[in-house]
Amino acid sequence: MGAIWAIGELADGAPTKLTLEVATLARTLAEKAGSEAKTVLVGEGAAAAGSAAAAYGPDVLAVEVDGGLADRPLAAVVAPRLAALIEERQPSYVLVGASNDGKDVAGLLLGLTDLPLLANGAGVSWGDGGPRVEMSTFGGKLVTHSAFSEERGMVIVRPASVTAEATAAPGKVETVGVSVAAELPQVRVTDRVEETGAAAPIEEARVIVGAGRGIGSPDGLRVIEDLAEAMGGAVGATRAVVDSGWVPYGQQIGQTGKIVKPALYLACGISGAIQHKVGVQTAGTIVAINKDADAPIAEFADLFVVGDLFEIVPRLAAAIRARKSGSS
Amino acid sequence: MTRLSNEQVALRDAVRELADDKIAPRAAEIDQSGEFPWDMVELLAKQDILALPFPAEYGGLAADMISMLVVIEELSRVCATTGLIPAVQELGSLPLLHGGTDEQKQRWIPDLAAGKMLAAFALTEAGAGSDAANARTRATRDGDDWIINGEKRFISQGDVAGLVAVFAVTDTSPEQVNAHRHMTCFYLEKGTPGFSAPRVEHKMGIRGSTTAELAFADARVPDANRVGEVGDGWGLAMKTFERSRPGIGAQAVGIAQGALDVAVKYAGERKQFGKPIGLHQMIGAMLADMATHTEAARQLLWGAAERIEAGDPHAARWASMCKLFAGDTAMAVTTDAVQVLGGYGYTTEYPVERMMRDAKITQLYEGTQQIQRLIIARDLLANL
Amino acid sequence: MNIVVLLKAVPVVGTERLDGSLLTDRSVQLEANGNDEYLLEKALQLTETHGGETILLTVGPAGATEPIRKALAMGAARAVHVVDDAIKGSDMRATLDILAAALRKMEYDLVFAGADTSDGQGGVLGAALAVRLGVPYLSYASEIEPIDGGVRIHRLSPTGYDVLEAPTPAMVMGTQLLGAPRYPSLRGIMQARSKPVEAWSLADLGLAPAAVGGGASTTKTLDTSKPPERAGATFVREPADAAVTQVVDFLAGRRLI
Repeated sequence: MGAIWAIGELADGAPTKLTLEVATLARTLAEKAGSEAKTVLVGEGAAAAGSAAAAYGPDVLAVEVDGGLADRPLAAVVAPRLAALIEERQPSYVLVGASNDGKDVAGLLLGLTDLPLLANGAGVSWGDGGPRVEMSTFGGKLVTHSAFSEERGMVIVRPASVTAEATAAPGKVETVGVSVAAELPQVRVTDRVEETGAAAPIEEARVIVGAGRGIGSPDGLRVIEDLAEAMGGAVGATRAVVDSGWVPYGQQIGQTGKIVKPALYLACGISGAIQHKVGVQTAGTIVAINKDADAPIAEFADLFVVGDLFEIVPRLAAAIRARKSGSS
Repeated sequence: MTRLSNEQVALRDAVRELADDKIAPRAAEIDQSGEFPWDMVELLAKQDILALPFPAEYGGLAADMISMLVVIEELSRVCATTGLIPAVQELGSLPLLHGGTDEQKQRWIPDLAAGKMLAAFALTEAGAGSDAANARTRATRDGDDWIINGEKRFISQGDVAGLVAVFAVTDTSPEQVNAHRHMTCFYLEKGTPGFSAPRVEHKMGIRGSTTAELAFADARVPDANRVGEVGDGWGLAMKTFERSRPGIGAQAVGIAQGALDVAVKYAGERKQFGKPIGLHQMIGAMLADMATHTEAARQLLWGAAERIEAGDPHAARWASMCKLFAGDTAMAVTTDAVQVLGGYGYTTEYPVERMMRDAKITQLYEGTQQIQRLIIARDLLANL
Repeated sequence: MNIVVLLKAVPVVGTERLDGSLLTDRSVQLEANGNDEYLLEKALQLTETHGGETILLTVGPAGATEPIRKALAMGAARAVHVVDDAIKGSDMRATLDILAAALRKMEYDLVFAGADTSDGQGGVLGAALAVRLGVPYLSYASEIEPIDGGVRIHRLSPTGYDVLEAPTPAMVMGTQLLGAPRYPSLRGIMQARSKPVEAWSLADLGLAPAAVGGGASTTKTLDTSKPPERAGATFVREPADAAVTQVVDFLAGRRLI
């Protein structure tokens, strides 16, 4: 059996949290499979970032990329190099984290190589001679387990489906050279625009306060933001709120947004439709605040406060602040 | 049993969504204010609903009859006044469609199809309701024009229409009267000197659909506005009813369905004596009968439409039957709906009292139920 | 500009289930994949403004004619429906082969694909197709506009967006941020009946049945289960102040504050 590769992503010169999760996964699967694992980093500064990734177990293959490709989309640069490396070293399984760039890389690899692909993996274990990939489908209604017909394939792995775990025996970093026969058809990045109010990625937050239609208007967001601040958490929103233009898409939680796994999720004015449920159902604790005691969210919340969120949320924020300052 | 084609289902679903989202929220206000809902006209025009009955070459959608009936039903389900708008647009245009020249159609239909102008149908008079042939409004030839004198009464949307089909007597000789060749159809544009709408009625129901009195005082209309030959008026009116009566049947089915939906929902939620009242037998039986009659009315309506469109020789009988049954069904179902909701049904908190008031007109206009029965009986006995 | 929109026909949301072979049951009523309708809307806006045609491409069973008709009613000019019994059970690789073969027989400036599908596996085929067709690939578009000889998009980034440009023909994958799809007008519904829908079989594409379908699949579904249930909720129905005290105690008890 060939190796199991974790394809890593760099942000600001360091491997992303998702990379470390996927690296952990590759390591644990390789242990069960009795084969070896590698973390592959392709990009500018790959070698320098190598040791941070190697702390999570697998040896790292670092492929440096010429700065001259900086005006091209990341995936377009990474994928042909990975394809060449895959061709050369013939890993059995390739795991890719489901960031936007990761999905692009996996899609391009589907075209560049002949590896089969299973997308939307919510959990991967080692099954009968190969990975057993758990996927949630139909908006979260059903869970399926799939495998490959042959002993090779690619799996796209969702964030927070694995907990990143550093190891006592870090791997080695090997800088590798790769030559590509041809670059992909040209796409140029002509500008990178930062938008004000773009929040830190909510996937990283320990506490998330979610805003649903119940907030009524963009003004209704203020109490939500205040509660998030009191708890040191992030603000998320349902698709309805994002479609109304009150919250940016990057904070959308659900099947067509982010899947999050915070320790605490406070759902304010959210009915709990299944497409939203799939985004939060693995959170540690779910507290719902809603006027309607029959809302579907009652089926998967731990605590359901029946009431007007505009009454409850400000008082809750105040109570938490008071408690933190030790005066309660 | 008639089933809808995929396209008719698509039409129905599109109009249903529009009705639920944009029209239902306005229904109570339209009823309370009694004001003609121009915003609904705009909405219907924008969605091409008013274009349905017109030929494609004049900007219409050439819809088949059942498609038209499905649309009227879906609108009437949430607002009988709004449901009437496309029905009256068709009613007022049918004489033109049946008897007009290509030039006349070219002149008027594009604006009617685009919803830029509303049409109305003026046959009824104070002294000529069921006995419509006894109309007195006169049209006298004067050179290339006609001069019209008289009054019309109970004309749906007669005051808001830009174009009105007016049926006037052009020959009082007994032979022509007996042969029903005494009337001629003229289309008058709003603003014609001598043509006015001095009054609107205060009504029990469909209160947003303004019902007007029309007055003609030496109103001059060019011969180019005569539709059909002199003496064709009565025949054009009868031909019109073959299509327009099912339209009212559709309005009635819609009203019934709307009331049924409210009653079923209420009976499922309201608990008395430990369970939802719908599970108590007397209420359950009422709901069952309401649903069965509504479906039967709908099926008769569609069956009639298929036959009328196919040119059935008994088209007039089919048109009367479906309007008769649907109107009586609407009245019975809405009355029962108020009953199911009890005291609450009597208040304006629920729409059923409005639906009951709206339903009554379907037993009155477009030919009373008694006239429909006369027509059906005569047709049954026609070969004697 | 001619735009081909990839339209996936999926079971009506809420009625989805697996069949006996643990494949998505497509014998139920089908509708257009939600996200694809956003791409269709954008394509319609672009062809309405800049001229050209919006063409639909669907690989699906007979029931796919329903969502195709609706998309034609929204304003697409015509459709290509690849339908063949042998396609059932095809994995992503086979679907890719079929779509690539179909697109090679079509002319276009742009191909649009959606970022997600109701079965969760969306967002990857577009990239693979672009490689097969040898065209540029632009993804996660929140905005699309034509430029001289090419296309420009806004690509979502963690901090805002990047502006990408490429020559056409090109493949663009887009998100819900492109704007909600229109309701079909009645005129559109009735005009749809006369718009051409070409049905292509595997033979028309030069593909052998043995190369696609369940038999050739490189992946397989082993089993299914319901998502794990959480232990029901505890309800708090007190007035606001008392309720908040309960919440704080609850959170403290779980060491969350």
